[in-house]
Amino acid sequence: MHEFSVMSQIVDAIMEEAKKREASKIEGVTIELGEFTMLGEEQMRFSFEVLSKGTMMEDATLVFRTTDGEIECECGFRGGMSPSDDAAHGSTLILECPKCGGAAAIVGGRECVIRDIRMVVPDV
Amino acid sequence: MDKVLISQVGFSTMHKVVTVDMEKDILSANRKLADQNQALLDEHGIRAFDFLGAIGSGKTLIIERLIDKLKGDGKRCAAIAGDVAGDDDYRRFSAHGVAAENISTGKECHLDAHMVDHALERLPLDDLDYVFVENVGNLVCPVDFPLGSHKRVVVISVTEGDDMVRKHPAIFAFSDVVVINKVDLADAMEVDPDSLATDARRTNPNAKVVIMNARQGKGIDDLAEALGL
Repeated sequence: MHEFSVMSQIVDAIMEEAKKREASKIEGVTIELGEFTMLGEEQMRFSFEVLSKGTMMEDATLVFRTTDGEIECECGFRGGMSPSDDAAHGSTLILECPKCGGAAAIVGGRECVIRDIRMVVPDV
Repeated sequence: MDKVLISQVGFSTMHKVVTVDMEKDILSANRKLADQNQALLDEHGIRAFDFLGAIGSGKTLIIERLIDKLKGDGKRCAAIAGDVAGDDDYRRFSAHGVAAENISTGKECHLDAHMVDHALERLPLDDLDYVFVENVGNLVCPVDFPLGSHKRVVVISVTEGDDMVRKHPAIFAFSDVVVINKVDLADAMEVDPDSLATDARRTNPNAKVVIMNARQGKGIDDLAEALGL
C-alpha cells in the first residue's frame, strides 16, 4: 500500500532532475528495489501509471531490477539468507545464519534507488 | 549523496536523448530523518520505543501497562498515537496523565520519520524519560520506515493465527522484541504460542521473545526487561 507514496517521491525526484536539464520528455527510468523492502513491482507500476498521467513521463518505460538481500554473521558468513524449510512460504526471511546457525544481520537489500533516467533534452 | 553523470548520448536535430545516471535512494531520506529524530531524543536523554503490529493485537494496552509501571517507578513518559483516523488511542494514553500526541495519517498506512519529528516538536522533551510510539496497525508497510526509536517492538496475538510470523517475516526480522500477546486465549484459538515463538526466533535470532497476556498484566515485567527499563 505504501508503494504510492514511495512512487510519488520517485516521480518528484525525476521531475526535479528533468527540470534541471530542461528535458521535454522522459523516455525511461531504471529503479532498483532491494529484496528486503516491502515494495511490490506491480503496485509500483500501477502507481507510476496514475502519477505520470498527463506529464512528460507518461510514456516512459519503467525497468525494475532487484538488488539481492545480503546478511552477515559473526562467523564470517556473508551472503543470501537461509532457504525456508516451509514450501508454502518460500521467500521467508530468515536471519538464522545458514553456516553456523547463529544470528546474522541484514547488510543489504533495503534500498529503493533511482538508477538512471533516460530523457530528451535540448541539444546545445 | 546523489551521483549524476551523463553516460549515453543520442542525437536528433534539436534535441538529444541522454541517460542520466543517478544514485538516489528514496528510502534513505526517511532513514536520515529517523537518525535526526534519534539524535534529538539522545540530546534529551530520552529512550524511545516504537510498537508495530496487527490491528487489534494489543499494542495500545501494552503501552498503557508500561506507562503505569514506569509512572509507579517515578519515570516520566509520553506516547505518540499513530492511526489512520480518530483519536481513540490518544485519549487512552492521555487518560494515564502523560503527555500524548495524536498523528492521524489520513490515508497513509504507516508512520514515517517526518510525522514523528513533528510530534516530537510538540512534546515537552526536557521533562521526559521515555517516549512510546504506536504505529498504524499494519505488518507490512512500516517495515520500510524506521522512525528513530531505540528499539522496535512487534506485537502479535494468538487470535491472529499460528502462521503470522511466517506470513510477515520482514517485520520480525527488523524488530528487536517480539511480543506474543493474548496467550490466555491460546486454547480457545487452538494456537500454540510456542510455535509462534519458534518461528520468531528463527526469523530473527537477535530478537527477544516475550509471552504476554496484557489484559491481566502478565508478562509486562518480562517486556520491561527486554526493553532495558
